Amino acid sequence: MKTLINISWRNIWRHPARSSVLIAAIVAGLWAGVVTVGLINGLMLQRIDYLIESEVTHAQVHNPEFLSEGYSWLHIPEHDEIARWLEDDSRVQSYTLRTITDGMLQSPVKTSGVRIRGVDTETETRTTTFHENIVEGEYLDSDIPNAVIMGKTLAEDHNMEVGNRIVLTFEDTNNELTSGSFNIVGIFQSASTTYDELNVFVRSDELNQLLSEETIYHEIGMMLEHEDLASSVVSDINQTFTGVEAQTWRQLSPELSMLVELGDFMVILITLIIMIALAFGILNTMLMALFERMRELGMLISIGMSRMRVFIMIMMESIILTITGAAAGMLLAWFSINHFSESGLNLEMFAEGAAQLGWDHIIYPVLTPLEYVVILIVVVAITMLASMYPALKGIRINPLEAARNT
Amino acid sequence: MPIIKTENLSKIYNPDTVPVHALNDVNITFDEGEFTAVRGPSGSGKTTLLNMIGGLDKPTKGEVIINGQDISKMKDSKRIDFRLHNIGFVFQHYNLIPVFTARENVSFIMLLQKRSKKEIRERADALLDQVGLGKKKDSRPVQMSGGEQQRVAVARALASEPKFILADEPTANLDTESAMNLLDIMNKMNQEQNVTFIFSTHDQRVIDRARRVITMVDGAIHKDEKQEVLSEQ
Repeated sequence: MKTLINISWRNIWRHPARSSVLIAAIVAGLWAGVVTVGLINGLMLQRIDYLIESEVTHAQVHNPEFLSEGYSWLHIPEHDEIARWLEDDSRVQSYTLRTITDGMLQSPVKTSGVRIRGVDTETETRTTTFHENIVEGEYLDSDIPNAVIMGKTLAEDHNMEVGNRIVLTFEDTNNELTSGSFNIVGIFQSASTTYDELNVFVRSDELNQLLSEETIYHEIGMMLEHEDLASSVVSDINQTFTGVEAQTWRQLSPELSMLVELGDFMVILITLIIMIALAFGILNTMLMALFERMRELGMLISIGMSRMRVFIMIMMESIILTITGAAAGMLLAWFSINHFSESGLNLEMFAEGAAQLGWDHIIYPVLTPLEYVVILIVVVAITMLASMYPALKGIRINPLEAARNT
Repeated sequence: MPIIKTENLSKIYNPDTVPVHALNDVNITFDEGEFTAVRGPSGSGKTTLLNMIGGLDKPTKGEVIINGQDISKMKDSKRIDFRLHNIGFVFQHYNLIPVFTARENVSFIMLLQKRSKKEIRERADALLDQVGLGKKKDSRPVQMSGGEQQRVAVARALASEPKFILADEPTANLDTESAMNLLDIMNKMNQEQNVTFIFSTHDQRVIDRARRVITMVDGAIHKDEKQEVLSEQ
């Protein structure tokens, strides 16, 4: 075997330029592919993590009809009991209760339809990271009464700034129109400008005073010890409590779930394209090498080298070529991903468009060790598959090729 | 007892389209220690005969018996193994492995025979000394002349300690000095070590040095004669 490896290695370097070009192509292709996969992974995970951590949370509880109907009287019954249950469950890291209603925002400039989200600042801050989106002013933990924070785009649309007042009008639980004047204490900017245009945040106790005679909540969001626990916690809540429906983030945001699937599909697609290019590169190079060496291979079989050894020798040449390129490509990709996973790849020129779509323009690529291993295994497997044809052609060579005089 | 014997050996190429009768019922024997030239015009069947004897091609009819074994009936893998241990080849185009040095080229066949490293090295060096390439052991084929490459090919053929060596037009690409030098070496090995050589050739220089000359015409043995060697070192 040592001799076969030796001869294969030297055969590769018979044409240094050709082998170098192929290795360079493998390095470049694999580097580009792996980094792209890392960027897609990073982009998807950032979007998902952002949405989960800033608002959606791992799981939510609602009145079963609230999500489709949206009326404020469709609140969560027995929310205290659910809160106590969540308090006692070790899988639950933190939770927060929200009062939600749809209404109108009036400023001196114009009127807009908005979703008014009443939050408990203490539990909300403990559960989500939305407060980190404040770009001007402060969060709702300010001392100013009837405080409201609004999205930057909405504020600009209404020509509003911190310190201005707006009026929020909505239906209370008795179907009566009610309104309140709120002081803008902060401006937020989330990853999505659409979200920023359609949502305002107030304190839940102040919203409740206008909305209902009793304290009501429409949503309980919870962060768990681990995302994988979401299904079991949701199932337990649904079995324990009646009149409510708990859902995981995947159920609540099917678009996020689709995003995960889309990301996986993109990763497979890119990997496939790289692998096909790699396979044809190997096939082409090995066939060229084979046709050039027909007489030599014929000689080897003539003097007594078994066809199996010839097969292994040709396979070995492809594998050595690919592993050399793949190792360098993976190493380069690892360095690149490592570098950008800390500093981030800043695509500032696309920032505005990305924000419209709810994407972050700074991408932190992610690739797990398992993904590196899988890509490497796939590369080797594809190489072996692509080398099979030239190798099989090689073992069918007639030893008389060696005696051919032309 | 002859080391090679053919019985009614026939080879027809393209039997279903335009049949070419390359060999017609050839019956011939070769004894150990022979230095034989097979000559004849192009298409006379001399190379086909050597290919059959060397187990590189299968006859359409007849047998090739080497040391009592009919190699024409052997499976491909067994025939390859048989060649490895029993037959040495010298080709017109030398056919050395270009990425190997002279020593590695000679050693390679012994590696295939799974001999010990020490034996391989010692034997390869000794053979290269015998063919006058003691100072070129670490040279690659591109660093050697045609004559030197063919001498490496002879050393490689001898390395496996075959029963006989088949040389197909070994001097065809060599100048006179290189050809005579190569023939001297092969002749010396034949004389001193009783190595059997069978050549197919057009080259009068080879024919003049052979002690047996077989003339083939139209796939049959036309003449088989022993001769006094005209020029010997």
